[in-house]
Amino acid sequence: MLFVNKQKEIQSQISEYCASVLECMDSFQEAVKQYCDNSDRKAVKASFAQVHKAESKADDIRREIEVLMYSKSLFPESRGDIMGLLETMDRVPNQAESAIRMIWNQYVTIPEQHSSELLNLVDVCCRAAYAMVDAAEKLFSDFTNAAVAVGKIDELESEGDRIEASLIEKVFSEKNDSISTIVFRDFIKCVVQISDRAENVGDRIRIIVAKRSI
Amino acid sequence: MFPLSGGLFLGWALGANDAANVFGTAVASRIITFRKASILCAVAIIIGAICQGEGGIHTLSGLSKQTHMTTLLVVSLSAAVTVTLMTIMRLPISASQATVGSIAGVGLATGSMQWGGLIKVTTCWVASPIGALIIAIIIYKLLAAFIRYAPISILTRDKMLWSGLIIVGIYGSYALGANSSANATGIFSGQFPGVSDRQLALLGGLSIALGVLTYSKRVMMAVGKGIMPLDAFTALVTVSSMATTIHIFAFIGVPVSTSQATIGAIMGIGLVRGVHSIKFRSLRNIGFGWLLTPIIALILSSSGYAIFCLAKPAL
Repeated sequence: MLFVNKQKEIQSQISEYCASVLECMDSFQEAVKQYCDNSDRKAVKASFAQVHKAESKADDIRREIEVLMYSKSLFPESRGDIMGLLETMDRVPNQAESAIRMIWNQYVTIPEQHSSELLNLVDVCCRAAYAMVDAAEKLFSDFTNAAVAVGKIDELESEGDRIEASLIEKVFSEKNDSISTIVFRDFIKCVVQISDRAENVGDRIRIIVAKRSI
Repeated sequence: MFPLSGGLFLGWALGANDAANVFGTAVASRIITFRKASILCAVAIIIGAICQGEGGIHTLSGLSKQTHMTTLLVVSLSAAVTVTLMTIMRLPISASQATVGSIAGVGLATGSMQWGGLIKVTTCWVASPIGALIIAIIIYKLLAAFIRYAPISILTRDKMLWSGLIIVGIYGSYALGANSSANATGIFSGQFPGVSDRQLALLGGLSIALGVLTYSKRVMMAVGKGIMPLDAFTALVTVSSMATTIHIFAFIGVPVSTSQATIGAIMGIGLVRGVHSIKFRSLRNIGFGWLLTPIIALILSSSGYAIFCLAKPAL
């Protein structure tokens, strides 16, 4: 009975964690969109703070899960796998927060002509993060099919890479040698890392399922 | 009652050695602590010995008609020394082979061997790993189908395997008590007035339980990590197949080797998964141990008998 209760507790904490990751990604997408529409720092400060808040909340829940899992609720192997998975997952909202911080600290200028493509990149990266959360949740509902859900992350990661390459090429084709171009390029790279990190989570999920394949 | 001490020593050595086959995989995979496993195992062994231990006692006591207490002491001590030697060498051997080897040694020396009984026992030795192999394949396929097609969480899978391993571990321990208590005290059947076969089975079970509690950890780790890497799922299949097999032989009334049944089960899993996953070197070493066990026991008991004959020609 004790094991069942702890299992339910872990499962509900993980659902809460996934929800906070999704919340962070939604806030991130909204904040970038708002910044593209109006680059006034004061106007976007609140939405940037929202990203940070959601990321911190995800961090707190992850730590709670770690403590819960060390109270002898799982096989040592599963405990290690799930902790590793959560730590890898945590890098996705962290990256979203880094991108927002970059905008704030480095005064990133988003050229109007590239904003729609940038928003498309942000959308793809966020969808990769949603696919990651979906695959992770599958582990806790129908684990043998979690590997199938990972395929979607790979597709979105490839799409993100394609948009990144195309966008950087367009930015530099304008022969504008200003520092803001370099900063914008770095920002694009920072954003696309969200999907790269989601892909790393997908790889971990594949390994977790493969280790338990019969 | 002094000769009984040899049998109790054998029971202790048997417990130290054979508990590994029941909870070894679970302990080595860190699914359950040694302490908890040994306590559960000891209790279930005693219950198994009380409830179903008599059948094996009838079989072993009929292998060779020995009535002299010194001869019985030689038989039980030879078997115990053999099992202890093998345990120290970290080889999971068969206590029933040691017992029957010892009985055969004295039986041959005295010309009182009951060949019909010996053939029955050795046939069961061959049949038990084959039976475990077949049962393991069936259990593996059934469990695998369930885990593959039932939409379960990784946590539920853990819970199922954890509970399953504890349950089959207890069942395996019960079957071990039912099947193997005769190895410890079977030859003393009818030798002590007022002591029934059930009481002898209880004594055998108690000595096996003591061996589990005091000296089984090392062999548990050797079995758990030796032949094939065992995860929770394969451990569950191995133990349940072994337990079912030795329980069947407890009904037949022939003590068989839990080690042989375990190896048979692991071979069955290896066949389903692909033979490359079996460590054949470990398997060869274990096979070598099996071959040595009855031979060493036979030599020890016949030599021991000869020494006693020289000391007391009246034997």
